[in-house]
Amino acid sequence: MQKTTVVVIGGGATGVGILRDLCMRGVDAILLEQQDLAYGTSSRYHGLLHSGGRYAVKDAEAGKECIEENTILRKIGRHCVEQTEGFFARTHLDDEAFEGKWVEACAKVGIPTIPISVEEALRLEPNLSPKIKSVYRVPDAAIDGFRMVWQNVASARKYGGRVLTYTTVIGIEQSNNQVVGIKVRNTLTGEVSDIACDFIVSAAGSWAGEIAALAGINVNVQPDRGTLIAFNHRITSRIVNRLRPASDGDIFVPHGSITILGTTSASVNKPDDTVPNAKEVVELLNIGEALFEDIRSYRMLRAFAGTRPLYSADPNATGRGASRGFVTLDHAHDGLKGFVSVVGGKFTTYRLMAEKVTDLVCGYLNVKTPCRTAVENLVEDTSPALMAKARLYFPAYGAELAASRLGSEGLEKVIARIQEKPEKRQLLCECENVTMAEVEEAAADSTSYMISDVRRKTRMGMGTCQGAFCTFRSVGAVDANGLSWGKDTNVLFKEFLQGRWKGIRPILWGNVMREMELTRGIYEGTLNINGAIDNEGI
Amino acid sequence: MREYDIVVIGGGLAGLMAAAAATKRGKKVTLLSLGSGTLTIGGGIVDVMGYLEGGIPAATPSAGLLQVGDGHPYKKIGRPAIEESIRFFKEICEQEGYSYIGNLDKTQWIPTAAGTLKPTCLVPKTMDTTELKKADKVTVLGFDALKDFYPSLIAKNFKKIPAFAQKEYEVVMVDPKLSEGRDVTALDVARWLDTEEGLASCIEKMRNVIDSGSVVIIPPVLGTRPDYAVKEKLEKALGCHFVETASVPPSITGLRLRTMLVRYLKKNGVRIVEQAIVAKSIVEDGKCVAVITEGVDRERTYHAKSFILANGGFYGGGLLAEPGKVIEPIFNLPVEAPTDHELWANYSLFSSEAQPFAKLGLDVDEKMRPLDADGKVLLNNVFVAGRNLRGYDFSFEKSGNGVAIASGYQAAMSV
Repeated sequence: MQKTTVVVIGGGATGVGILRDLCMRGVDAILLEQQDLAYGTSSRYHGLLHSGGRYAVKDAEAGKECIEENTILRKIGRHCVEQTEGFFARTHLDDEAFEGKWVEACAKVGIPTIPISVEEALRLEPNLSPKIKSVYRVPDAAIDGFRMVWQNVASARKYGGRVLTYTTVIGIEQSNNQVVGIKVRNTLTGEVSDIACDFIVSAAGSWAGEIAALAGINVNVQPDRGTLIAFNHRITSRIVNRLRPASDGDIFVPHGSITILGTTSASVNKPDDTVPNAKEVVELLNIGEALFEDIRSYRMLRAFAGTRPLYSADPNATGRGASRGFVTLDHAHDGLKGFVSVVGGKFTTYRLMAEKVTDLVCGYLNVKTPCRTAVENLVEDTSPALMAKARLYFPAYGAELAASRLGSEGLEKVIARIQEKPEKRQLLCECENVTMAEVEEAAADSTSYMISDVRRKTRMGMGTCQGAFCTFRSVGAVDANGLSWGKDTNVLFKEFLQGRWKGIRPILWGNVMREMELTRGIYEGTLNINGAIDNEGI
Repeated sequence: MREYDIVVIGGGLAGLMAAAAATKRGKKVTLLSLGSGTLTIGGGIVDVMGYLEGGIPAATPSAGLLQVGDGHPYKKIGRPAIEESIRFFKEICEQEGYSYIGNLDKTQWIPTAAGTLKPTCLVPKTMDTTELKKADKVTVLGFDALKDFYPSLIAKNFKKIPAFAQKEYEVVMVDPKLSEGRDVTALDVARWLDTEEGLASCIEKMRNVIDSGSVVIIPPVLGTRPDYAVKEKLEKALGCHFVETASVPPSITGLRLRTMLVRYLKKNGVRIVEQAIVAKSIVEDGKCVAVITEGVDRERTYHAKSFILANGGFYGGGLLAEPGKVIEPIFNLPVEAPTDHELWANYSLFSSEAQPFAKLGLDVDEKMRPLDADGKVLLNNVFVAGRNLRGYDFSFEKSGNGVAIASGYQAAMSV
């Protein structure tokens, strides 16, 4: 039986933040994730590192936390952050009175807002609607959720942290009102096992209610579904927020060569209700038109949905009415010692949430080491020497991308693979500039069990063609290296393409339809990965 | 004003076959082509009918034809015309020295690059599986640096197919040394084998890894030209049998077929206009008088007695999808589609059902003329062929090039 001091549940930003913090303070810890890392809400949002402006009016505390954490994450996580800055733009449809209130509230919590003229704003962002009325600059930034999670794990591993993915919690073991262990099931093999521990921290986000229920404790987390659209264009170089009370479809966030528009908000019963639909997409486009008039002429890549883990002590609060602040619940008050849930909150404040929870846990464990997660960078910078070496093997643009994706250590390993077999420098995913060597490296990681896991680590299959070409190549390359996880290759093809399909189905028109007919033509028409074989007829 | 008998819009297999059949009838034909159609993407393998509703394999292409539903293009075209069209296609191939093997009464199960078998009807001789089926030992040959072909995957998966499970598989690699720091596709290897030096060098390299008498599965790289010279020379030098797989784009088998058909059309006096974007039509009294192309320089007007609309479906641009509706951009012909976009597609990308959106398209009569919702002919001298037709999912049922050939032929015969 495995043993550890603390089990952390949830492989999203908060969970990995807690794992890192615990390990940095010398506490032995294992993190459990029911799917892959960053499978949940941490990758299913717009990727905005909030300045806090969005919350300043309604929730000053959340606004203040945002601006403080924003400043910290720009430093410690700079390989995950694109320092774009942001605009708050009031359109002709929005209430002028709110503007004054907003400026005042931002000032109060320390969020700098700089007014600029509409002409200047249009010069900086020519695609913005000329009908906008006023614009402010704020210190928003874009942040890569996948990468942030990965780099936290990489850091935690250096301090001895362990991670088990595709591991779901099925029981919380207690003795004399004290946690003594946790029962888990591997969702891929079905194998059930126990882990002995002194402490359990649930950072399960939208699933926190389900985890607490295993111990007979009620935690009122209301999953709130938000749907977003990824466009295959950098429509704007800055984040653009609509200057009005937080509502649907009013944030555009650029990430590299794409832009994300979000979000909708609707209460749902299940935390994994994340299949977007065409109606939500059409609604988002209708709303988004107020900020970018040509929105319908931009090629969409996919739609996706996540569930915000809204928490309320009041069981009747839902949607944007619920607080976006976070709460640490020490279940000792519910009669079970050694069990803590952290609920609510948002990606921008994940580190702070982790610090507060870890403080609480360390208090119980009598660990006095102070938190250092705000001062130590997640990964080391890539040295100029290593970058020079990388440029020998990667396309010019790809070298920078690979370095920021992989970090120093990962980059070294990928370069070593290419040195051993030079043809592995070939781009397996042309859309996102991912080499064959990088796919193999990601596939060999102990937390990879299918091609989608490789995708989340490398961005392979996340560009324009959405897997039309790289699905075949990645399965082939992984299989040729004996890394196919004992799975039938047709199963691997289907798993990956079905994952891509989920986000394509709700936007199936225009060029997306064309691309899909190509993809189906290849995999179903030509490669026949789906068809039954008539053995008598051969 | 020059007036042609027929203007064919679209340079894919449906358009090429329509033009071929029209010239056979002595018509003066202009073919307006935007690009090379989907032949060089989808491939030169002629699927006719592989799977029925529910994903059940059709016993033979011929049997499959009898079992399609009422809305299917094959139902409109009718069996005699389908048989004639296939015969006509094979005749052209024979005449041009690039003959195809197969017939409607036998499903050919051919190997794919994914290590599956796919049911088809007609294939070039480079995909003849006669020797493969007999062999006890099979060699799967890959090329170093060719990122679109993984021989070990094929060998492993063939072991799982009952009819192929008893065979022994050996995986071998040949390094064509083509990479020089850039990515290599099947087209690069095929062009290498097109040259005498390339072929000689390849034979030397292959001699080191394959034994005489072997049956060798390889990617589709046996030359880009529509003949069997590369295959014959390799087989003679090495004493082996080569079998090309169906594979991902760029499709060499499709390239060969297109080259051959274009050559045939030119020989037969068809005028081919490339890079022609047909933007609109002039219709008077239920008849199309002319179509207008828009190029970088100017508009051009093409007058004809009849028009064949073979410019593809969603992929080719013959149909445009918008939320809840489908547009046919040249004649603005009606396309019936669910206004609720959720009904367009299944939740599973791959299942035992065809995709509803794949069946959206133009409704036609048995002469391939477009119909309105009440079944009335909308344009008397416009005939529709290929992927813009309603009622079939080529990916699911494996019928793409079959429908292209049959409908292109039928359209030309109906003029």
